[in-house]
Amino acid sequence: MGESNVLFSIGPLQVTSTVTSMWAMILILALVSFLATRRLKEVPGPIQNLAEMAVEKLQSFFADSLGQKHMRRYFPIFATFFIFIIVCNYSGLVPGMGHVKGMAQPTANLSVTAGLGVCAFFTTHILGVRERGLKHYAAGFAKPFYLCFLMLPLNLIEQFVRPMSLALRLYGNMYGEESVTENLYEIFPIGMPLIMNVLSLLFCLLQAVVFTMLLSIYVSEAVEEE
Amino acid sequence: MNSGLIAIAAAIVLALTAMATAIAQGMTASRAMDAIARQPEAAGNIRGALVISLALMEALTIYGMLVAFMLVGKI
Repeated sequence: MGESNVLFSIGPLQVTSTVTSMWAMILILALVSFLATRRLKEVPGPIQNLAEMAVEKLQSFFADSLGQKHMRRYFPIFATFFIFIIVCNYSGLVPGMGHVKGMAQPTANLSVTAGLGVCAFFTTHILGVRERGLKHYAAGFAKPFYLCFLMLPLNLIEQFVRPMSLALRLYGNMYGEESVTENLYEIFPIGMPLIMNVLSLLFCLLQAVVFTMLLSIYVSEAVEEE
Repeated sequence: MNSGLIAIAAAIVLALTAMATAIAQGMTASRAMDAIARQPEAAGNIRGALVISLALMEALTIYGMLVAFMLVGKI
């Protein structure tokens, strides 16, 4: 934790390897989106087919857990979280990630996942207030009126613990994978890290699914009409 | 003496969280398998719920692992 990992500075902001990796993710996602929607055809070409399949699978996944009406309204934000997290997670398997200067897995960094947690926090509360109005939404925290001195602190603490747990779960899993891979490399350099890389294939997908599913459950709790 | 205690603390943290989550996930998986055996056509739904429950329990072990890493970094 001694040496600095800052690559260069743009004005007052310091650019680290994590930031340049996220720029690379943005470029890749923008490129795939541009190529997929360039000339939309009735019988789709390969990239458009891939994009349509991804969108349909995500829509059916959210419709199963949330219901059609909520899914229609909030699908873009959930899909954004999911696609960003899954691309960042799988980027850890690219050769060179972590020890080449300028490439670092973004979600293996607590700052990135804490940022995602903060986005999730504001998403739930802003969507809840927009749907139910400020007074009705705030009154929902003190729900059984005769127990409000007990429920209000518990609900408030829960609202702050939820995004923290989302961030720590994602960070812990990704950093743990990196750390175990490093230690396996030190045991025997050829073949041993492969064990953890194969497990990574499953766990990266799983963590993206769990993050997005929990976020969708929190949002649907915040916007539901009593 | 200080660094020895820190090392023992890190080991105990990880051991206890791993034991607790192994017991809990084992119970969850066994109930899920009973449910699938009783109603095989609901296997897809049950598998989805099972995987998400396992990931939620795994998160508690990950918190313990983070504490162990922080402790080992302070030896």
